Amino acid sequence: MKRKMISAILCCSMVAGMLAGCGSSSSAPAESAAAETSTEAESEAPAADDDAAEATQDFSGEELSIIVSQDWMNDCWDDVIANFEDTYDVTVDLQTIPADQYDDTLQTKLTTDSCTDIFWIQSNPFAISSVIVDPEKYCIDMTGEAWQSVIPEARLSSCMYNDKLYGLQLWTNSPEYVLVYNKTLFGELGLEAPSTYAELKAACEKISAEGITPWFIAGSEGWVQALAFFQIGGVYEEAQPGLYEALNNNTATFADNEKMLEVLNQFKELSDAGYFGEDWIGATNANLDNDFAERKIAMAMANPGEISAIEEAGATDEFGICLIPLGDNDTYPTNPAGPTMFGYAGTEHPELVKEFFRFCTTTESLQSILDSRPAWTNIAVNDENVEQHWLPQEEELVSSIDESKMQTPVLQTGTKYTNDSWGKFCEDMIAFCQGTMEANDVLKNMDSNRAESAKVAGDANWN
Amino acid sequence: MNKKKVYPYWFLIIPLVLYGVFFLLPSILGVFYSFTDWNARSMGQVNFVGLKNYIEIFTSDKNYLSGIGHTLMFTIVSNIVKLIPALFLAIMLQEGLKGKNFYRTILYLPSILPFVIIGITFKSVLNYDNGLLNNFLDMIHLGFLKQKWLSDLNIVWGSVIGVDAWRGIGYVMTIFIAGLGAIPKTYYEAAQIDGANFWQRLKSITLPMLTGSIMINLVFGITYGLKVFDIIYVLTNGGPGHATEVMTTYSYQMYADGAYGMSTAFNTLLLVLTAIAGIFVVRNMSKKEVQQ
Repeated sequence: MKRKMISAILCCSMVAGMLAGCGSSSSAPAESAAAETSTEAESEAPAADDDAAEATQDFSGEELSIIVSQDWMNDCWDDVIANFEDTYDVTVDLQTIPADQYDDTLQTKLTTDSCTDIFWIQSNPFAISSVIVDPEKYCIDMTGEAWQSVIPEARLSSCMYNDKLYGLQLWTNSPEYVLVYNKTLFGELGLEAPSTYAELKAACEKISAEGITPWFIAGSEGWVQALAFFQIGGVYEEAQPGLYEALNNNTATFADNEKMLEVLNQFKELSDAGYFGEDWIGATNANLDNDFAERKIAMAMANPGEISAIEEAGATDEFGICLIPLGDNDTYPTNPAGPTMFGYAGTEHPELVKEFFRFCTTTESLQSILDSRPAWTNIAVNDENVEQHWLPQEEELVSSIDESKMQTPVLQTGTKYTNDSWGKFCEDMIAFCQGTMEANDVLKNMDSNRAESAKVAGDANWN
Repeated sequence: MNKKKVYPYWFLIIPLVLYGVFFLLPSILGVFYSFTDWNARSMGQVNFVGLKNYIEIFTSDKNYLSGIGHTLMFTIVSNIVKLIPALFLAIMLQEGLKGKNFYRTILYLPSILPFVIIGITFKSVLNYDNGLLNNFLDMIHLGFLKQKWLSDLNIVWGSVIGVDAWRGIGYVMTIFIAGLGAIPKTYYEAAQIDGANFWQRLKSITLPMLTGSIMINLVFGITYGLKVFDIIYVLTNGGPGHATEVMTTYSYQMYADGAYGMSTAFNTLLLVLTAIAGIFVVRNMSKKEVQQ
């Protein structure tokens, strides 16, 4: 009897469930019809809003994925991304990868056809062919997009390949990665901004005696230390005129280059003396602003905008910028290159990707990116409506340098395949500083890495 | 009809096809590609280059040999560091310890944590300036023991192997516990009556009866050690410099650089090493296995 009762109850509940299912399915079309009607009614409303409203309907519910290296798309993009999500009713999945793992991760994703809708590379005039290798296969062709006119002419070479537009580069035009120093502290110690290696060493010695890290370098970030070598490219070209061209034609090498060896040895001398910090190889940039503000460090390679970030961290000292004086460098770090974003050709949302690029290049988005990033004082775009915030220190530095010292781009931008091995060069610099490699072996490895990249790129000069 | 045949042979076809297509074929193709110049720019044009990739590995200025050496060192040391403590922990937890299931769970937990979480956590714990470990040493006035755990050449391998042991001991211990549970208690009772102490019981009963578990742990440990990647990638990424590069990190870098031929050559070497080690262990341990 009990079994029969249970069976009866189960049967009843099943029937009720089915009816409920039928009920909901029968009412669903009614609801959707009502929704359609209301949409139609809305669409018939006066002047039918604008293109953005249509786009909102088109992309609603889609997801846009982006892969980017840490620090390239900082919090400053949060507002732009949030606005984009709100405007188009989409979700943006931002995948931020640690800098030292980014190149490997991106290349693996590209070669296994599993890349995100948008990806970033550190681009320069040679990078599209050497990093992406096959832009036609991997990148969405953006040729004809109105935002091309927003990118300054000098930067277009980092975004185009074979006359086709692929990338969008939104980066700062400041003197990149110069030496930010504590002007007040220097004054108290009777020091001037160092302009030669001898002056730098003397300053480091004096600052170190005060218990302050003279020149902070965050070695575990995986990219910082190489700046000291690459940002002073002009000094190598000056020491050996025609070097850049010869390196690009594969008729010169990094190995045995006396100026480069001199710079590497100077770097090691400072490392051995502990001037980069007690554990610079394991250090990160996480507390850079606070450490500057609290006088734990006196100098660091950074963009001029770092000064604003230090002030926001509560610093009362005055800060200045000067050129990196390794190798007695007096050349300006001209660099029309930077992180650049590309649409992935294999994406399921090509139109959404294009829309994102358009959205990023509106005046509002550009202003938001600039204003939300304390480290930036300007953004390199052709848009007069964007309000730039150049620092007096930048203007002072630029005006103090002769124009002839601004002609040579930094080494990683002016020579082919150099930037591709940035991470490996950083590892080699550490191995050199720890005594497990010789200076010339670091340079030889760079030659060998460049040759491998050239081979992969099918460069005739290396065959 | 042969009643001993529970299932017909054609039942094997599906798993064999799946195994062949998804495991054997890629492995064989991998070995084949290691003799070619296949790279990201090949566009389908792959040329046979003989042993060139292997010669490059063994003669390059980049010192890939150190990566092979590090791999072998890690395999040996990490197994010793995990197996011995895990065995004693298993014996301890097999005895009538109060709350032993709780301890077993606690010890096993790290092995189910993702490597990325372990990497982030321990990078923070082992940070020289602000890390938990150095701060703790400072707090208990043992500041002289502070180390650059992940950036000192003489310490970094110890840190990596230590973190790996923390993660892996629980897993090894669990296999030992299963093995210990299968040893009849009567053997120990008889030995105790005969006056055998702990070490004598360990030598004459536990270890011989535990050969199967030791073999499983050794095979798993050796294959894990030879193909170690995750723990190094998340903790040091092969650094500082190239101090903790292993075969798989080199292989990964080459693949990422688009040098697929070289990358597969490294993987083939790894395959050969793993196969040799696996066969050697299984053959030797099988001879020593004691049947109950």
